[in-house]
Amino acid sequence: MKKILEITGLTGGYSPDRPVLHDVSFNVHANEIVGLIGLNGAGKSTTIKHVLGLMEPSKGTTKINGKTFQEEPEEYRGQLSYIPETPILYEELTLWEHLEMTAMAYGLEEQTFLTRVRPLLAEFNMENKIKWFPGHFSKGMRQKVMILCAFLVEPELYIVDEPFVGLDPLGIHSFLELMQTFKNNGAGILMSTHILATAERYCDRFIILHEGKIAMQGTLQELKDQLGNPDATLDDIYIYASRGKRP
Amino acid sequence: MIDFTKIWRVRKDQYFSLALRYFRLIGNSGFMLSLYILFVTGSFYYARILKQLPDNFPALWLFVAVFAYLLTKSPVRTFLRNGDLVFLLPVESRMKEYFRHSIRYSMVVQSFIVVLVFVALGPLFSKYISGRGLEMIITIVLLLAAKLWNIKTSWEEQRLPFNRNRRNHTYLRLAVNAVFVYLLFQKAYVFLIAILAIMYVLSNFVFGYIKKAHGYKWEHLLEVENGMMMKLYRVANLFTDVPQLAQRVRPRAWLSSLSKVSYSHSHTFDGLYRKTFFRSNDYFGIYIRLILIGGLFLFWIPQGWWHPALVLLFLHATGIQLLPLYKHHKGNVWFELYPVKHQWRLRAFQKWLRLLMLIQAVLYVAFLLAMGGTWTNGVVCAVLAVIFVWLFTEYYTKKQLLRVR
Repeated sequence: MKKILEITGLTGGYSPDRPVLHDVSFNVHANEIVGLIGLNGAGKSTTIKHVLGLMEPSKGTTKINGKTFQEEPEEYRGQLSYIPETPILYEELTLWEHLEMTAMAYGLEEQTFLTRVRPLLAEFNMENKIKWFPGHFSKGMRQKVMILCAFLVEPELYIVDEPFVGLDPLGIHSFLELMQTFKNNGAGILMSTHILATAERYCDRFIILHEGKIAMQGTLQELKDQLGNPDATLDDIYIYASRGKRP
Repeated sequence: MIDFTKIWRVRKDQYFSLALRYFRLIGNSGFMLSLYILFVTGSFYYARILKQLPDNFPALWLFVAVFAYLLTKSPVRTFLRNGDLVFLLPVESRMKEYFRHSIRYSMVVQSFIVVLVFVALGPLFSKYISGRGLEMIITIVLLLAAKLWNIKTSWEEQRLPFNRNRRNHTYLRLAVNAVFVYLLFQKAYVFLIAILAIMYVLSNFVFGYIKKAHGYKWEHLLEVENGMMMKLYRVANLFTDVPQLAQRVRPRAWLSSLSKVSYSHSHTFDGLYRKTFFRSNDYFGIYIRLILIGGLFLFWIPQGWWHPALVLLFLHATGIQLLPLYKHHKGNVWFELYPVKHQWRLRAFQKWLRLLMLIQAVLYVAFLLAMGGTWTNGVVCAVLAVIFVWLFTEYYTKKQLLRVR
């Protein structure tokens, strides 16, 4: 299986003396959704920031298709798209201008942009809002803008940070379905979430972070085996991993 | 039990110390000196204008306009904060205690402003309305009474659920105030008693009814309060960086066509800077104002070597004032994440700034020629302007902005 994202021995954080992450290693392959789960403060966002290349590791590397951010910054960034936990929008741009700007920034051909954008807008019920400014958007709609921008690019790697908060049920459904489609087309997806029931259904593998270290990892079956309980749900496994207690 | 008086006092003190900090910054910036100069020259011209005013000058209408406006505009400074929507909502029934302080505070501050304006217009009053001291005192006392009435009623007005309701009631107050002020400055004291009776009825029945029928409109009150804070921030922002300054966006759809750029990877930031310029904050407003003020100076000052100097001075002012546009989206993570060359961003900004400055220069040169300036003067201005714009955008801008991420 082709490795898209490769994290080896990652140690890092906001200051070198007090690292948040300790020797974290895992991969995201093509055609795979990896769930990144952990308590608040376990290091999920810090991991994501390292993957995005917004923070520099004090030890270890993160590589996308074999290259680090330091080696090829533009190529590295061009291969991933990011859905942040809190939507980040330009208050001065309309929905349509956000999409256009994203397409331009990722070097999409204008024709590709135009053929991709319409079905996406329709899927998320946003066709009649293309002239709206973010000031008039609800939290869910802002989140949809982030999702639209990410899916528009169709990169090899998706970094998704808690995408479900504020989304309406139809939006969640569309989001999950599109994610599966892109996964089947060869993309790799790293998704951080607390909605374990959904993660259990859609993720192929899990990384459970606890206090900056990987507490457990593997497919649901492998995790169950590690726990020695074939009936365990992801919730049980998660609680075990973060408390060190058997349910 | 929550001590509302204490909460209110703490907030007022925090506001005062914040405002004081900003005013100190403004004071240190040399602005106070210009203000002082402006004040001295202003009072000199004021005295001269007063002497030259004709006897049929409509001072009455000036007073009516000024004071009807001052009386109608009676906002209550609540010092509410966003968090109150969650934390103080449960004790809404006891908030009267808190707002009482706000109302009293607004009364004191705004009464002071009324007195100040009245004193400033004092010479006009004694020349055109009445020279008698007693009448002056009666006038000021009645003005203050009307101010208090307005603050009380405008406070109840804020309970109305829709903007339109509130506006209608404001117009009602405006009408009452205009009549009141007119009668006051006409010295028609008998009629004034009638209007005072009307005001009494209004405040007890119309506005009193609102008070009974509607609760506080928290979100509206917060919006008003934040708006008032923004005013302070916006003034301070002219002198220093104010991080709390919320960006207000105006769509200005009629300018959108001017901000269109052709679709291409390397133009990612071009459109963003243009749209931000037109829609955000006041970049566009500053630009237009600078052009106009520069035009006025060119108009006043006789032709000669002053003209090219003025053109360059105002081009420089525009350049300096628009530099913050570059960092407008500072901290936005997308700027980091886009797979786009860093130089493209600076280049997009330089290109846009250059275009704006050149447009300004063209307008000035055209204006000078239209006023009957000589061709030599026009050509000198144009050549100097082009060289200046090129130097400014190519070297100065680059040096200033390369440090900014």
